[in-house]
Amino acid sequence: MTELTKKNRFIIELKGIVKEYSPQKSFFSKCDNRVIALNSIDLGIKKGEIFGLVGQSGSGKTTMGRLLVKLEQATHGTIFLNGNPVTNLTGKALNNYRSRVQMIFQDPYQSLNPYLSISETILEPLNVHKIGNNDQRYEKVIHTLETVGLSPGKEYYDRYPHQLSGGQRQRVAIARAIVLEPEFIVADEPTSMLDATIAIQLFRLLTQIRDKFNMTFLFITHNLAAAKYLCDRIAVIHEGNIVEINTADEIIQNPQHPYTKKLIQVQPGFHFN
Amino acid sequence: MTILSVENLSIGYNTKKGLLTAVNNISFSLEHGRSLGFVGESGCGKTTIGMALMGLLPENAAILSGKIHFSGEDLSRFTEKQWRNIRGKEIAMIFQAAMNALNPVFRVGEQIAEAITTHNPDLSTDKVNDRLKTLFNMVEIPESRMSDFPHEYSGGMKQRAIIAMALACSPKLVVADEPTTALDVIVQDQILKEIKKIQKAMNMSLIFISHDIAVVAEVCENICVMYAGQIVEMGTKQEVFKSPKHPYTKTLLASYLSLDSDEDIFVPDMMETPDLTGINTGCRFSVNCNCKSKNCSKDAPGWIDLTSTHKAFCCEQGLGRKQS
Amino acid sequence: MRKNHYIMRFQKGWKIFIKNPLGKTGLFILFVFLIMAFASFFVPHIGPMYDPMTGTDPNIKVSTYPSLSHWLGTDNVGRDLFAQLLEGAKVAFIVGLSSAFISIVIGTAIGMISGYAGGIIDILLMRIADIIMVMPSLVILLILASIFGQFNIWIIVFIIAILRWPAVSRIIRSQTLSLKHRPFIEASRVAGASNIRIIFRHIMPNVLPLAFLYMTFRVTSAILVEAALSFLGFGDPSQVSWGMMLQWVWKTGHMFQAPYWLIPPGVCISLLTLAFYMLGRAMDEVLDPRLRKEGQA
Repeated sequence: MTELTKKNRFIIELKGIVKEYSPQKSFFSKCDNRVIALNSIDLGIKKGEIFGLVGQSGSGKTTMGRLLVKLEQATHGTIFLNGNPVTNLTGKALNNYRSRVQMIFQDPYQSLNPYLSISETILEPLNVHKIGNNDQRYEKVIHTLETVGLSPGKEYYDRYPHQLSGGQRQRVAIARAIVLEPEFIVADEPTSMLDATIAIQLFRLLTQIRDKFNMTFLFITHNLAAAKYLCDRIAVIHEGNIVEINTADEIIQNPQHPYTKKLIQVQPGFHFN
Repeated sequence: MTILSVENLSIGYNTKKGLLTAVNNISFSLEHGRSLGFVGESGCGKTTIGMALMGLLPENAAILSGKIHFSGEDLSRFTEKQWRNIRGKEIAMIFQAAMNALNPVFRVGEQIAEAITTHNPDLSTDKVNDRLKTLFNMVEIPESRMSDFPHEYSGGMKQRAIIAMALACSPKLVVADEPTTALDVIVQDQILKEIKKIQKAMNMSLIFISHDIAVVAEVCENICVMYAGQIVEMGTKQEVFKSPKHPYTKTLLASYLSLDSDEDIFVPDMMETPDLTGINTGCRFSVNCNCKSKNCSKDAPGWIDLTSTHKAFCCEQGLGRKQS
Repeated sequence: MRKNHYIMRFQKGWKIFIKNPLGKTGLFILFVFLIMAFASFFVPHIGPMYDPMTGTDPNIKVSTYPSLSHWLGTDNVGRDLFAQLLEGAKVAFIVGLSSAFISIVIGTAIGMISGYAGGIIDILLMRIADIIMVMPSLVILLILASIFGQFNIWIIVFIIAILRWPAVSRIIRSQTLSLKHRPFIEASRVAGASNIRIIFRHIMPNVLPLAFLYMTFRVTSAILVEAALSFLGFGDPSQVSWGMMLQWVWKTGHMFQAPYWLIPPGVCISLLTLAFYMLGRAMDEVLDPRLRKEGQA
């Protein structure tokens, strides 16, 4: 456990994380075009906080989320979960990690398998990790559905994604992410494809879940205002580098980095003359 | 002078579930040189209006009733041949995903030149080039980039090229449908400023469609708020955004997060999706409204004039002006 | 009410399918042949004279024109041609459908594994597929037949299937590649699902419709190959098939003397393969992605 982790009680810590993409080097080309998506990231996320990662497209924010849920591997650097290095895991250790770190995806129309019913989607993590017996799993799914606002759970149990609206589908995605009661959830732009009136409901839901389960969230977004509303602390990322980290209020009121200042300046607002 | 006047327009889509009235009996008008914004969430019909104004409604859609008066003609009755004469020339559109509107195998300059020569086939090459240069200057793309291919342009430049293409023939009316949604916040700011500048300089009439109320507030002088195919409130932007009266407008504004939002924002309850089937004369928001009046879904609430420019499609109880 | 997604998709697809003129025609023709195939089970019960293989009319010793007792006439040893035609329908369906089914099973499995695994497995499997795809199946079968003598019908079915799976696997592999990075697949990976689970529970249902489409094409090719083999004399001599009938009419020198014998089997082969082809084309319209889109209202 690093000293910093011990001092700040970081649940997730990244040290010197670098992610490079290099095109296939074949026999015939000596191509050296590497794309550096993440450039030596150092970051710590405290237990129980909602941590915002704000950046525009191409900034590397999605890549960081994917690294944390192990959809991709870091090229260099270390990731720590509760002080233990988890950068390269396989087999049982990877499975264990997966039960503690989950993800909510951006597109509610693509993140649910159209051939599976709602219950089958939410049951999958339970099945994969062999948790409980059939009756217990049923209860857990019903309970989780109601936690995310799809009440009564029995009514939604056998439905299919195409029968639900975008906001409801996203609630199912959230249900799937929390059913194992993980410690850490990466929410990758969970509301960017939803209307504002629905997005705000989901933000309240995420806060309620955090309070109820003491879960930690990484909230990835391009919308600084949403991050300010939802998050305790915010990191601003630009072209693979973290340019500023601070509490939400401080970032907005006392931005230090010119890029942060620019982001604040260009927020569309209601200017009445 | 009124350049565009829409009266009681209804547009329906033929779907497996029956007739979906995406636009339900709307009326509005636009003065020459002014900008009008349409704001609403998904399914409200704003994009359908944009397509109708360009004659680009899909095959399964039809104008059910109403008129679109533009330059002395009724666009709702236009044939494809008539549309081809005015599309691009008198009415032009700036689309959302600009990257897809540019043909990747042709140079950008060539594509914009084509937009010019389609409607002005007799122009000499010199004149066309002059016009190209004027356009590129207007949208602030360096002339040296005229002969580049679209993939060599950044996202913001592509969008500016699309704006140049829309302006190629100096149209009287420009319809912009979510032109900045796919862009970076910083680039979005540049493009919005660009659009405002051009609109003022060319005294162009603009219809701006977006789901983002702040973006619409930046660009437009007048606003129409739409819900489920109906206009629920219209007025100047100060009136609509500073003193919203319709319950939906209030909900929409309350859900908008800005940098100076409070911690306690009113979070609406889960809303029912409105039923778009069939033509109905009542208020489609009534199923989600807190108002005590029970009649709104059947009996048409009327247009209530709040000021000479500001009106809301609601009942007295809904506006909170009368206890029921 | 629980409506399984498969059933729902089927119903949706059916409505589109049945409006398509190709689908309607194809289905109708297929139906007629199906009835013929079923009828072939009852024919021998009418009388031993009507058995397509062994039945001979005691009164007839040569090939005869259609008559009341023999609707299509008889072949040169007095066997009823109509009975043979019906039997041929049965054989065509069996050969066509089994061969297609086996090649689809192999092709889909290999396509999914290849597409999902990627890397060296993908390269190896696809190179094997390429090699097989390039081989001319009819020629191979002829060569094998001339080495090993005449084959049993099931061996023929099997060999056709083995030679024909690559085309299916290529399509399924493409589809798998595009599905691999879809969010719902990634969500399963994040949940901890194993690769096998993802392939069979998530990818397979999404590629099965395509697999069924390609099955219709495999049926046509299997029927044609079997007919060709039989015509050339390498088919299963204990089975009456349309190709066999053509072989006999040719071998016994009746090609130009007995049109009632020559024409029906040829027409049947063409019509049945055409029917399956039409089915495939109509299914294509059903499966076209633009119809499959689910989005906001």
